[in-house]
Amino acid sequence: MTTLTPKLSVRGLKKNFDGKGVLHGIDFDVLDGEFLSILGPSGCGKTTTLRILIGLLEPDAGTVLLDGVDVTDAAPDQRSMGIVFQNYALFENMTVRGNVEYALKFDKERKDRRREIAEKALAQLGLSAQIDKPIHELSGGQQQRVSIARTLVLEPEIILFDEPMSALDVETRLSMRAELKDIQERLGTTMIYITHDQEEAFALSDRIMVMGGGEIHQLDTPEQIIAHPADEYVADFVNKNLRIKMDSLARFMDR
Amino acid sequence: MGISKGISLTRIALVLFFLVAAVLPLCGLLASLLDPAAWEVFSSPQFLPACLNSVSIALIAMLLSLSIALLVSWVFCRTNIRGKGAFAVLMTLPMLIPSLGLGMGLVFLLGSNGIITNLLGLDVSIYGFWGIVIGAVLYSFPSAFLLVYDVLKNEDASPYEAADVLGIPKLSQFAGITLPYLRKPLISAAFATFTLVVTDYGVPLMVGGKTITLPVLMYQEVIGLLNFDTGASIGFVLLLPAVVAFLVDVLNQDRGRLGFVRKARVIREDRRRDFAGYVAVGAVSVAILLPICVFVLVSFVVKYPLDLSFTLGNIGRSMNLNAGAYWLNSLAIALAVSLIGTSLAYLAGYITARVGGKSARVLHLACITTLAIPGIVLGLSYVFAFKGSFLYGTLGILVLVNIVHFFASPYLLAYNALGKVNLNLEAVGATIGASRWRILKDVLVPQTAGTILEMFSFFFVNCMVTISAVAFLATTLDMPLALLITDFDAQRLTECAAFVSLLVLLTNIVFKALFAGVKRLLMRRAGLPASA
Ligand SMILES: Nc1ncnc2c1ncn2[C@@H]1O[C@H](COP(=O)(O)OP(=O)(O)OP(=O)(O)O)[C@@H](O)[C@H]1O
Ligand SMILES: [Mg+2]
Repeated sequence: MTTLTPKLSVRGLKKNFDGKGVLHGIDFDVLDGEFLSILGPSGCGKTTTLRILIGLLEPDAGTVLLDGVDVTDAAPDQRSMGIVFQNYALFENMTVRGNVEYALKFDKERKDRRREIAEKALAQLGLSAQIDKPIHELSGGQQQRVSIARTLVLEPEIILFDEPMSALDVETRLSMRAELKDIQERLGTTMIYITHDQEEAFALSDRIMVMGGGEIHQLDTPEQIIAHPADEYVADFVNKNLRIKMDSLARFMDR
Repeated sequence: MGISKGISLTRIALVLFFLVAAVLPLCGLLASLLDPAAWEVFSSPQFLPACLNSVSIALIAMLLSLSIALLVSWVFCRTNIRGKGAFAVLMTLPMLIPSLGLGMGLVFLLGSNGIITNLLGLDVSIYGFWGIVIGAVLYSFPSAFLLVYDVLKNEDASPYEAADVLGIPKLSQFAGITLPYLRKPLISAAFATFTLVVTDYGVPLMVGGKTITLPVLMYQEVIGLLNFDTGASIGFVLLLPAVVAFLVDVLNQDRGRLGFVRKARVIREDRRRDFAGYVAVGAVSVAILLPICVFVLVSFVVKYPLDLSFTLGNIGRSMNLNAGAYWLNSLAIALAVSLIGTSLAYLAGYITARVGGKSARVLHLACITTLAIPGIVLGLSYVFAFKGSFLYGTLGILVLVNIVHFFASPYLLAYNALGKVNLNLEAVGATIGASRWRILKDVLVPQTAGTILEMFSFFFVNCMVTISAVAFLATTLDMPLALLITDFDAQRLTECAAFVSLLVLLTNIVFKALFAGVKRLLMRRAGLPASA
């Protein structure tokens, strides 16, 4: 595969909040079908970047190109993107099925088939038995699955994740990890994934973007980031517990 | 993604509403202070005693209300007494009656011809300073109780378990864990009760005798002597403690926001402790029920206290004196205020809790500032602002003044409830093509249906019992029912006055029951846990 245009191109993205610079002009590309993780300390602008990508937030400067087309000013539902949040953001007054069907209610073409589409998506995520349950009867992992199903039925070309696992227990995380990887392989969806869990980033990603203070310090494969950190910051950030992380990573891969 | 036009318009409309309905009238009231003649009242012989009475009564009543509230909440949360739910409802019963009615109940009990006075052959009379204190406690205790109980029942038990393990004695636990945990709600409750008492004229009017308080002085000047300017000066003085209370409360924000992890308390078996609990709660219940029962009784006697034989005649008598029409007035006002007030407060809460931005912060402040305006002052400021306008002397102005007067609490209910719902819902909506309004209608309103009903109920009940904001604005035609109590009482139609109080109470109880039923139904239909 020769990469012609990247799936997503970000150029010169800047954002201030109340005069305080949060993003200082960042550029990066994401390839089609790629799994890109974003790492960085709290407050460095990860969520802000994601919200700009999907159009929930207007940048002060810069452009977002999807397949080479400028979508900087397009509405969030016109970008073929979906987003999954840490705290699931489900409609708690609806059932599991209701949540997924609601996502299709505003799609003129598929509105009438929303029942079967929802059922299929929920079955794929192993939620058939829960389909008519209210949200508050589900476990955290099941709720996050519903939220993923709700995003998948939009058939997005890119899915953004903002710390989707951080509210889940370790075991659930591990099984969800495998599931995400599986979805990506099956559908070929491009995924951009914010996490605080370095191990998770290394296990899942094709490439990792390390951010700090509103800038990108390095964007490279996990191997390169460990072997050749671009600067002191990245080395510091990644090096902590590196051995332990690598060991557990190896163990995870062996399973 | 810019904020949609509709929301900007709503925001502007709400700000304008506060400008016209609260800020301008108050400015008008303050402007009347520019006239030096308005200051004369401050040097009148009644003024200083009234001030001292008001402050000392409010302070004593506040301390008593808080202590009892703490005691009852503690019994509810730390003992195994049965019927907590029923007792808790009982504790709030005085909120369903005009303060005039509470005062009247006390007079029936402990006045010179009171039932208890006669029964025990007492020679003391309730009229005066201590009578007002008793009435004020009765009037303000429920608010203190609700604030304290709500926080105490959500308390995390784990610090106590740790303390038990360390062998720290119970009393030290109370002083070292419970009181600090309750500091904020206690401060809120202290100021809430103080403000309630210091601005109420109902209780002191009924049981004050020769003891005059500031609101009574203001009431007499305006209603009795038509000295509006003097009333305005006193109103200004009444505004001061309320503003201080408000500022402290704002600085004291965040009424013990709850952590997510909370360990429920396991209450050990202890017969003796429970028995003491029954005694305490029982005594408070009796103290609340007696004055209420007694005006129920008086409603159905021929001539109190001379002829105590049973009759239904007072109902007919009251109706002949137009009580029915006034009852309809009250219902109309209460329903209109509940509908309009709930919608406005909900929209305001939606904007401040979920849209955000700088102007939202201004709106938030404007909404809670209405807490600082005593009803009686707001009412008088409306006289100045709207006299001669088309609104004056209509039901409309009564509706408006009640909306503003009672706006803050329902607004805060909406603000808190909407703030708790996941803040990313609108973002999800944007990615699926659902507008803010769709998410509001399809998700937020159903999820907060319980809160909306509570807001509605708050407006309704308060409109039924209020006498303060409407006193100076009502005419003989559009008068709400609660004001009829003073009229009947002045005409020595004691039994009819009692019946009117009873009618207000019954109306409120029926509506409360209705609300509770609807709420349960809605919760079940929405599939939400009953506690939401
Ligand atoms: N709506 C907003 N208004 C003002 N400041 C904001 C807003 N959103 C974010 N910020 C600020 O911008 C900075 C970056 O926030 P952002 O949420 O992007 O960080 P993050 O990298 O996602 O952090 P975390 O790992 O804690 O989620 C923070 O300092 C934050 O306080
Ligand atoms: Mg973030």
